[in-house]
Amino acid sequence: MTKSPNRLLATVFGAVYLLVGLLGFVATSAAGVGFFDPDGGLLLGLFEVNIFHNIAHLLIGAALLIAGLSNVRAAKSVNIAVGAAYLLLGIIGLFIVDSPANILAINGADNVLHFASAAVLLAVGLGADKNVRASVA
Amino acid sequence: MPQITRTWLGFAAIGAGLIHLALVTSSPLPVAVVLAGLGIAEFGWGVLTFARDRLVGPRIVRAAALAPVILWSLLVVGAALLDATWLTSLLPLIPMSIATILELFATAVLSGHLRRNQDPDNPPPTPEAPTAGRYLLSILAGGVLASALVTPALAATEAGRYAQSHGGHHAEFVPAQVDDDPLSDLVLPGHQQH
Repeated sequence: MTKSPNRLLATVFGAVYLLVGLLGFVATSAAGVGFFDPDGGLLLGLFEVNIFHNIAHLLIGAALLIAGLSNVRAAKSVNIAVGAAYLLLGIIGLFIVDSPANILAINGADNVLHFASAAVLLAVGLGADKNVRASVA
Repeated sequence: MPQITRTWLGFAAIGAGLIHLALVTSSPLPVAVVLAGLGIAEFGWGVLTFARDRLVGPRIVRAAALAPVILWSLLVVGAALLDATWLTSLLPLIPMSIATILELFATAVLSGHLRRNQDPDNPPPTPEAPTAGRYLLSILAGGVLASALVTPALAATEAGRYAQSHGGHHAEFVPAQVDDDPLSDLVLPGHQQH
């Protein structure tokens, strides 16, 4: 696994997102935040999350972790797919912050993180392990 | 070109592309058409840079990256000389400055690459592939830096005007206190001033 950037990245990001999803529940339960509440609780005092956002983190983390532990092709495919989804979410996030449509309780710090995740996942998914073909590419 | 440098180049191109695309909605039609074309080209080239082993059209891309920098600089200088501030308001300062930084980075990297590859008979040795850990750390650093630059730029565009924090609006949009009594500013002489 340590020889494939895609597997390594998927595993590390998967574990981090799973942890972030779990810690998010601490933030939302402390602040009494609802499922789709546009005003979420603050994770690490910076990233705004609600319950829906936490579940999304858990699912993304699980997908990345499973793919990273499986094989290069799966890791590459999931990295590209999640990267593209984060890029889209980053762009949409700029428009919906501070509106009732903000069902993920996204704030500015979340947007930076989403763009950073998209950049890294897409760069590694598209650029590394080129001898392996991704199933979604 | 080393794989890590090529990826950073892709980040710069995609970042500049996103900023130019975000400026389309707030620009007049002729400027919007140019920005949309430029943004799509930059974004597409950035993705190609990730996916391909070789850079696509480095000479053309270098010229295309430098052209918006020169045009915007001329616009800013012209607006200052002619005292026409409405010209600079067409293209907001923060997003354009950050796009310019990314374009200058791309221009510098591409210039270095072209200089090293001037002699087709004597190409530079192929750089060794980095280890997975070093590659990922470098990509992570580049991705975080690019996002930290691009997100404030996007937030300063038309799209970002809706993206203010909850408290932000109140501080900025408190209406001025209106004094209902038009005579309140008058200083009338009192008995002691007669």
